[in-house]
Amino acid sequence: MLDEVVTVARSVGLAVGPLVVLFALFQGLVLRLPPREIGRIARGTALASIGLFLFLLGVNFGFLPFGRAIGAAIGDEANRWLLVPAGALLGFVTTWGEPSVRILADQVDQASAGSIRKGLVLVAVSIGVAVAVAAGVIRIAYGLPLLYLIVPGYLLVVFAMWWSDRGFLAIAIDAGGVATGPLANTFLLAVAFGVAIAMGHEDLMVHALGLVALIALAPVLSLVFLGLVVRRGRQEVRES
Amino acid sequence: MLALLRAQLPDVVRAAAPLGLVVAALQVTIVGAPAAEFLQFLAGLALAILGMTLLFAGIDLGILPMGRYIGAELPRRGSLPLILLTAFALGFATTIAEPDVIVLAQQVETASGGDLSATTLAVVISAGVGAFVVIAMLRIVSGVPMVYLLAAFYLVGVVLTFVAPPRIVPTAWDAGSVTTGALSSPVILALALGFISVLPKRNAVEDGFGLLGLGSIGAVLLVLLFGMWG
Repeated sequence: MLDEVVTVARSVGLAVGPLVVLFALFQGLVLRLPPREIGRIARGTALASIGLFLFLLGVNFGFLPFGRAIGAAIGDEANRWLLVPAGALLGFVTTWGEPSVRILADQVDQASAGSIRKGLVLVAVSIGVAVAVAAGVIRIAYGLPLLYLIVPGYLLVVFAMWWSDRGFLAIAIDAGGVATGPLANTFLLAVAFGVAIAMGHEDLMVHALGLVALIALAPVLSLVFLGLVVRRGRQEVRES
Repeated sequence: MLALLRAQLPDVVRAAAPLGLVVAALQVTIVGAPAAEFLQFLAGLALAILGMTLLFAGIDLGILPMGRYIGAELPRRGSLPLILLTAFALGFATTIAEPDVIVLAQQVETASGGDLSATTLAVVISAGVGAFVVIAMLRIVSGVPMVYLLAAFYLVGVVLTFVAPPRIVPTAWDAGSVTTGALSSPVILALALGFISVLPKRNAVEDGFGLLGLGSIGAVLLVLLFGMWG
């Protein structure tokens, strides 16, 4: 237990260190902010470091072991039919609750001048992630190489780039990282390990990793697809 | 300070609650783990929620202003090489502090049986983001359309996926997924907007687009290359 705490504390130091050094350099050479501002920045950095420490502690103690237990349970022979529904459910609900997806939905609503509703974006992205997680879990279960999913996925993105509306595309591309926050990412990472171990895969580097990768693809494809549908809808209205 | 925390907590709880509920439902129906383990999960969840709340509050209070100061001051005073150097450093420093980058790196170290250390991977990922933030800055100066650049790098990623050792491929694409988060995105955007504001005849929306996407493909590419030659 104490060992874990020390390890976590060390990784927080390693994580925040570069930022502190960079700012100190800047403050000394260029910025020369007044002490009050420095105090605020120092307090914020300390707060963030404590937060990071507690987060990592919670993840290491509670999240990772239980995520693995869930992965092992749905990877078990008796429950194998649950792989897809459980994966899809986890993908859907974690995206649905993610605050940054709601911000994204607002942006799309505004960029499309209301023709693509907020709620529609939220549903589309959540479904996209649900499909991605389900596909990722199936991939792990059957031991398929990740490139079967990644290569067509990104080729589709590149292809779609030429067809979709510029402003819309801009939002879609930057949306990749927002669908699942740190909570969901770390939990799904652990679930994937559990499934891979339950399936008896030997090399976890090949089989347990690669689930989170698909989640980044989902919002991009969902949004580009939505954009295409909306554009077609507009054309039809114009023609009639 | 308390007000800051109060502002963040609802968002974090809203993000965590669905996960907690699904996990509880799975526990009751199929997992049936010992009660102690489930309680440990709940305790972990509570710690993680508290941690995220403090982290977000800290980012708002200190780290974002820090990014904004540097982003606004630097382009006005510095030369192009200095701006690029800082862009790299900021991209690197904010990515290496992202919570999910840290966790992914730890998990990869476990999965590789210690062959690939968490620190090495975190450094490679962060260097990838930093390098591609530099490319994004150069693009803003040169005016090459972002779409071409993104399409080109995605295609390079697809090609490298076939060429790189299969063991590194899942890690590389996972890395792309965890990079741009609550810490790095706002700071990188602040720097880019500060930079755009000092260039003549630029449109912030058009020029800012794709920065984060470019950062994450940068992490993917560098990890793939590292797997080939590292």
